[in-house]
Amino acid sequence: MIRATDLIKNANGARILRGVSFEVAPQTVLGIIGASGSGKTTLLRCLNGLERIDGGAIEFDSIRLEANLSAAEYSRRVKGLRKKVGTVFQHLYLFPHLTVLANIIEAPTHVLRVPKQQAESEAVALLDSVGLKEKARRYPETLSGGEQQRVAIARALAMHPALLMFDEPTSALDPKRSAGLRSLLRSTVSRGHTMVIVSHSIGFLEGLADQLLYMEGGEVVESGAAHQILNSPRDPRTKDFIEQAK
Amino acid sequence: MPSPVSKLLWIAACLLFSGNVSAQQPLRWGADPSGGAPYVYNDPNHPDQYIGYEKEMVDALAAAMGRKPEFAPSDWETLVSALQRKSFDVIVNGLEPTSDRQKQIQFSKPYYIFQLALTVRNGEQQIHSLADCKNRVVGTLGNTAASRLLQKENIPMRAYAEPLTAYRDLELKRIDAVIMDVPAEVFYVSKSTTLKRACEPFFRGTYNVGLRKGDDALKTEVDAAIDKIINDGSLEKILRKWGLWNDAQLELQKPAKAGEKNVDVGYDITSAAFNWREAIWRLTRAAFVTVLIAFGSMVIALVLGMPLAIGQWKGPRPVQWLCTIYVEFFRGTPVLVQLLFLYFGLPTIGLAMPAWLTALIGLGLNYAAYESQVYRAALEAIPRGQWEASYLLGMGPVLAFRRIILPQAFRIALPPMTNDFVSLFKDTSTAYAISVWELATAYRELANASGQFLLLGVAVSLYYLAMSLPMAHLARRLERKLQRREAIEAVEAEIN
Repeated sequence: MIRATDLIKNANGARILRGVSFEVAPQTVLGIIGASGSGKTTLLRCLNGLERIDGGAIEFDSIRLEANLSAAEYSRRVKGLRKKVGTVFQHLYLFPHLTVLANIIEAPTHVLRVPKQQAESEAVALLDSVGLKEKARRYPETLSGGEQQRVAIARALAMHPALLMFDEPTSALDPKRSAGLRSLLRSTVSRGHTMVIVSHSIGFLEGLADQLLYMEGGEVVESGAAHQILNSPRDPRTKDFIEQAK
Repeated sequence: MPSPVSKLLWIAACLLFSGNVSAQQPLRWGADPSGGAPYVYNDPNHPDQYIGYEKEMVDALAAAMGRKPEFAPSDWETLVSALQRKSFDVIVNGLEPTSDRQKQIQFSKPYYIFQLALTVRNGEQQIHSLADCKNRVVGTLGNTAASRLLQKENIPMRAYAEPLTAYRDLELKRIDAVIMDVPAEVFYVSKSTTLKRACEPFFRGTYNVGLRKGDDALKTEVDAAIDKIINDGSLEKILRKWGLWNDAQLELQKPAKAGEKNVDVGYDITSAAFNWREAIWRLTRAAFVTVLIAFGSMVIALVLGMPLAIGQWKGPRPVQWLCTIYVEFFRGTPVLVQLLFLYFGLPTIGLAMPAWLTALIGLGLNYAAYESQVYRAALEAIPRGQWEASYLLGMGPVLAFRRIILPQAFRIALPPMTNDFVSLFKDTSTAYAISVWELATAYRELANASGQFLLLGVAVSLYYLAMSLPMAHLARRLERKLQRREAIEAVEAEIN
């Protein structure tokens, strides 16, 4: 279970996050929606430790990040946190100098020290599950955008994270591919993963997210069960956003 | 176009083609004053004036000819070609009438009989004659009777531009002995506490005035003037003043005969018999030295460039400053000056390296500055997302750098690195300043000795091209291979 309490993040003299709180239950999907500039990507970067928080706390199982920790202690805890959290960026950041297979086994073999053969057979199974088994020896640049994204998902899953986070996963996909990604993510959740998905696409999250959280100006405007937010939002701002997005 | 320039050109042309020199014209004489003691050199007390026994002798000659002497400072190695280009009309610089020079210019009657002196360090036990130097390195001035003698005897030689640097390298044990004309040896070694003569002076040769072929009237004039200052005792007076007089000079008192070629068979005239086979062999040796220096210094540059790049990029502030100072120093000063400093400056603090090693290290230190900038640019070109993706997969900074960032940066850095290597290849020619026998030195010396500037120039160029073209080809191939990836990175940058 992951819980954020009153998260505050400042950058360049501006307050990007203004006391954000939420919880994600195990094996559920939280969708974070909001216009660009609302702070959703920054929130994601705080959750995986790329940005240090300036106030509040993040708790993931027994790990607790707080603003007042020393730099060394903070980064020590972030390291522990990252063992449980996988992230798929909007721009993926696959390693261009490595094959698809090498991209996936790089961290398992060098960080977890899994024997290479075992890591490879696990990676092939993962590639099979995302439908890319025959592309294992290719370089990322030779794959389509959707295929590259599935490689990035497989790369994150290879580290066995309890929580998987996505930043704008549909930004480079056409509607058909979006639907394919949604069913892939749904089957991933059914295998026991928890997910946080940042997206501006409500259609993509509909039927995938259990909970939704609408952000505006670095604040949580409204959060709750997905069907409730989508069908009967309480706050007029949420209502505006959903109506415009639809 | 009637302009002041064309008027000047017209006057210059008149001077050039005015035919026979008349009594009013000055005696324009060329010699190399740098390190030229005691022949002609800058007066240490009045650096804008020249002194030397030959300077005084030319004054006497000019007086005997009723002319005003006019000194044209020149470079020893290129004196003959400068004379042919009419930079001056006579060479008076302790020039020996070797047979290879006689193919290019003519000589007056001799005005001095010189011998050679072999100098060694005080503690030297083994060398008592030139024959003992077979497996040693002997220093001397390039393109002299002494250098030709060493070549003839097959003795390993290091050619210098100035006696002083030759004797200094002997003191620093960079070479084992120095062979030099006695006048120079007397001037530089007689007061030395660390050097001594290995044996009595040997060999006999003459100094003659060099003239262009065809300037026969001037030759007659010069011969007569030499006879005059020998027979009226004024030359003896000058030589005695400089401690160079000996009884051997009395042989020169016979008058010059008109039309005489002045190759006195009684003297030992050594000459470098120029044959192409030997020249190519010596060029090949020089090419190997060039390759050795280029590869050796590139290794230093590649290895040292990395800590410099990282220090300047991510190091703590003082380290950044130090790296920046290093880079700016080596990029902002000429590599030639750096080599001279390393070769001549460092021994004063007790660090004397052989010339080839100095060149190798000097070029390595210099190119490390350039490579560090190539690395730094390449490292900075890797998107921050690559670091973040590595961190999020649990990698530490060292692992991420080694496995993810460095291999990508290497691909970006490879083409400029290969280009740098090609220019490093060409920059090895600066090593000629410290007498390393590499291609540029070989060209200069072989061409000066033979006059074959054109053909040897072509040969040397072919050597350089044979080495640098494959390198350039490799660079282009790598670039093509990486082009596809670069295109993708550009698209990625656009999305960002």
